[in-house]
Amino acid sequence: MAVTIAKERWSSKCLEVALGSGPKQIKVGGETTLPFLHFEGETPNAPVVALEIFDAQPQEWPDFLSSVYEGVLGDPAAWAKKCVEYGADLVALHLSRTHPDQGDASPEDAAAVAADVAAAIDVPLIVLGCGVDEKDAAVLPEVANALAGKNCLLGCASQENYKSIVAGCIAGGHAVIASSPLDINLAKQLNILITEMNLETDRIIIDPSIGGLGYGLEYAYSIIERMRTGALMGDKMLAMPVVLLVGQEAWKTKEAKTPDTPDWGEQRKRAILWEVATATSLIHAGGHIAVVRHPESLKHIKEHIAKMMKPQAY
Amino acid sequence: MSENKVLFLPDDVKVKIPVGQTILQAASKAGIVLRGACGGGGACGRCRVQLKKGRLSFAGTGKLPPEESEKGWILACQAVPKGEVTVFAPESSRLSEHRVLLEGRQAGVLAATAEGVAEPAPLFRRQVVKLVAPTLADNTDDYGRLVWALEHEYGIRNVRISRQVLAELPGTLRESDWHVAVELAVVDDCLEIQGVRPAAGQVSVFGLAVDIGTTTVAVELVDLDTGEVAGTAGAYNRQAAYGDDVIARIINAVEMPGGRVKLQEAVRETINGLVTELLETRSLDRTQVRAVVCAGNTTMVHLFLGLDPTYIRLEPYVPSVNMPPPVKAAELGLEVNPEAWVYCLPGVASYVGGDITGGVRVTGMAGEKALTLFLDIGTNGEMVLGNREWLMACACSAGPAFEGSGIACGMRAIPGAIEAIRVVDGGFEVLYNTIDNRKPTGICGSGFIDLLSSLFEAGVIDRSGRFVPGLETPRVRGGEEGREFVVAWAGETGHGADITVTQADLQNLLRAKAAVFAGVRTLLASLGLEIGAVERVFIAGGFGRFINARDAITIGMLPDVPLQRYKYVGNSALKAAGLGLLSQKVWEEIKEIARRITNVELSVGNKFMEEFVSALFLPHTDIKLFPSTQKGT
Repeated sequence: MAVTIAKERWSSKCLEVALGSGPKQIKVGGETTLPFLHFEGETPNAPVVALEIFDAQPQEWPDFLSSVYEGVLGDPAAWAKKCVEYGADLVALHLSRTHPDQGDASPEDAAAVAADVAAAIDVPLIVLGCGVDEKDAAVLPEVANALAGKNCLLGCASQENYKSIVAGCIAGGHAVIASSPLDINLAKQLNILITEMNLETDRIIIDPSIGGLGYGLEYAYSIIERMRTGALMGDKMLAMPVVLLVGQEAWKTKEAKTPDTPDWGEQRKRAILWEVATATSLIHAGGHIAVVRHPESLKHIKEHIAKMMKPQAY
Repeated sequence: MSENKVLFLPDDVKVKIPVGQTILQAASKAGIVLRGACGGGGACGRCRVQLKKGRLSFAGTGKLPPEESEKGWILACQAVPKGEVTVFAPESSRLSEHRVLLEGRQAGVLAATAEGVAEPAPLFRRQVVKLVAPTLADNTDDYGRLVWALEHEYGIRNVRISRQVLAELPGTLRESDWHVAVELAVVDDCLEIQGVRPAAGQVSVFGLAVDIGTTTVAVELVDLDTGEVAGTAGAYNRQAAYGDDVIARIINAVEMPGGRVKLQEAVRETINGLVTELLETRSLDRTQVRAVVCAGNTTMVHLFLGLDPTYIRLEPYVPSVNMPPPVKAAELGLEVNPEAWVYCLPGVASYVGGDITGGVRVTGMAGEKALTLFLDIGTNGEMVLGNREWLMACACSAGPAFEGSGIACGMRAIPGAIEAIRVVDGGFEVLYNTIDNRKPTGICGSGFIDLLSSLFEAGVIDRSGRFVPGLETPRVRGGEEGREFVVAWAGETGHGADITVTQADLQNLLRAKAAVFAGVRTLLASLGLEIGAVERVFIAGGFGRFINARDAITIGMLPDVPLQRYKYVGNSALKAAGLGLLSQKVWEEIKEIARRITNVELSVGNKFMEEFVSALFLPHTDIKLFPSTQKGT
């Protein structure tokens, strides 16, 4: 029996953002439909996956995670290269040492590290601050300056500190991550505030804040889904691509941290699956850039994306 | 005292001022705030108005080019009217555009709706009757004779009398030669004969209209024979010691030992203080006050009557009573005639009280075709939407910010309160006007609305209400509680200290305005209506003498509909109490309105919370809802 495929007619589309420069530049967004509905609209760019690195030797990582980066964990530039070898579309550098309680590294130190990493790779670079509003406001403009012209993605800017970070991004020619606490209105408000500083709308990526599988994933799912439908219905302030900071959420779950047990099985498999399940779920909600830690997660997520990007048979 | 009259155009507002006062002072009285950076010294030349009719005398010429004076332009601060004059006050001379004036109960917008008072029949009234003396042939009993006379002369049926009054009746009737004044009080469906006195030599009797607000209490003393207002007084509710909002008050009333008694005492003493003040300055005796009508939200009425408020706060939010019965003043400890009945306006639900029902009556919306929104913005923001066909209401918690409480420099709208503000670009200069042109001692609600709007327009705060970093003005500085903005320097103020608003104050105001707008949106959405469907908006509340509708829209507090749809009704609860006091018909209408209003519970579902967060922005996250604010940006 013939089935008529119902199609929605959307009036608008997601914004497309380009990150990095040169042959490895990537583009995200630009869809005219919900995720992977190829029969209904265009999906010009597939979702991408970044591997996450740190400017300090990670503590309390399980062996099966730190072993894949053996020998490079103390050297961010080498670590970033390793990520590219593993197939990362982008590298996300966490400036954890700038945190006031974890070394309180100066903005200049942080900028030097970021510049080293950027010089070592040809894929686009994401630079994430330590999450303390005032510190990030001081560090990220310095980083933006050191990376001027490289078209990186810097974050996270919040309602409290967006002014100096956005100013840095404008001056250095970067894109910014606008971060809000799981609320569609707050996300939109921050986007308005940032665009009012005259940063172009296609220089903004939304971090909606996410929870890992079992830790509030469904809240993030519905927020991201509403952002996408909002974008498709013409809301320009919700049309920016979405970044999913999966690694930091997935690897702090009990399921990822509990060693092998007879009931729960092998930790390695469990932890990677947790990261993969979180990332793929939110990609299906409408996420564009997934930031993960384990190269095997990267591999699984990319395989899944490749399958989903195949045209539908109808 | 002789007076001059000034008619202001294009507002078409006429005010009376004592001889010797300037046009500038008249403008202030009319709620038209003219620019006056020099403080009325004729030096700045900003308060230009054009004389259209009448004669003036000048204190000085001031700074005005000769070609302008030839065309009739004058400086308002230098011009004193002689008799009646008409002046045109252009937009360019005004500190802020379009405001709606409130001047007492006779405010223009309400004159048409107060028709209920055309046949005054106060809740306490006196009827003079001349009885026919009994004879052997006409030996009806004294009381029966009195009842017959009331019905025969005034059509009054359904009277009742107490044993005490009856006991003195035969003597009084005979001593007064059967010519007596009968004191009647409306109680439920009948009239109670409270006394019978000789018709000759009556003293005046008064009634009280009381607005029991969570933050402020206002009392109006009304002459029950003439219907005239003999005086008004207001004060902060002494219950403030037990919390800012109704929830805190309920918790204290329920959980504090003797709490209910203490809170009842606090509000009673607030009212008694105001009544004593009003009576003493007029050399009146408390026994002359024979009826009291109170308007208050449901919690305030519960606490005033000493009823248990526990369940107002707990799901499913049910009050003890929506239509409380009249209570004798003696029982409540009010310092008026102990026999006087105290009536409370009937409410609708736990968070839509008699003050709102009364406000609806004052606007007249319940009898008209136009879809009307009535907003009463106090500590709680209550609103009613509807017309003669239907009425829906809801309530949200706005906090006391717009009533001048909960913010360090906030104050009630009394002399010395800053009621209008303009901030110059970058925040370098602030222009303001105070009530009665006194030196400022704080900011009232209308001033806060202006402040939020003009700080945003001047680029001092961003759309999220946060100070923009890196401003060079000395007015933005670090204070004890974070960054703050100096509205008035110590040297300008009445108390010798800087008047400032902090980041926290601004967030407080932002939350208050967001709650109001979110309530409006949620109420409209519950009926599937858009903002544009609203044909008229009545605003009530304790902001001050007026509300600047343009600024209130700029900050996203009031819906973006054409300004001419707005009317400010000021303290509608107090007006309703006054109208009800003077007219049994209005009183019955208010009861009918209370029965008609359907309450929408905002805590059901998450629509309100979502609207609230969305409204925590200047003017709103969805800018499309405020098209008029986008012009020129």
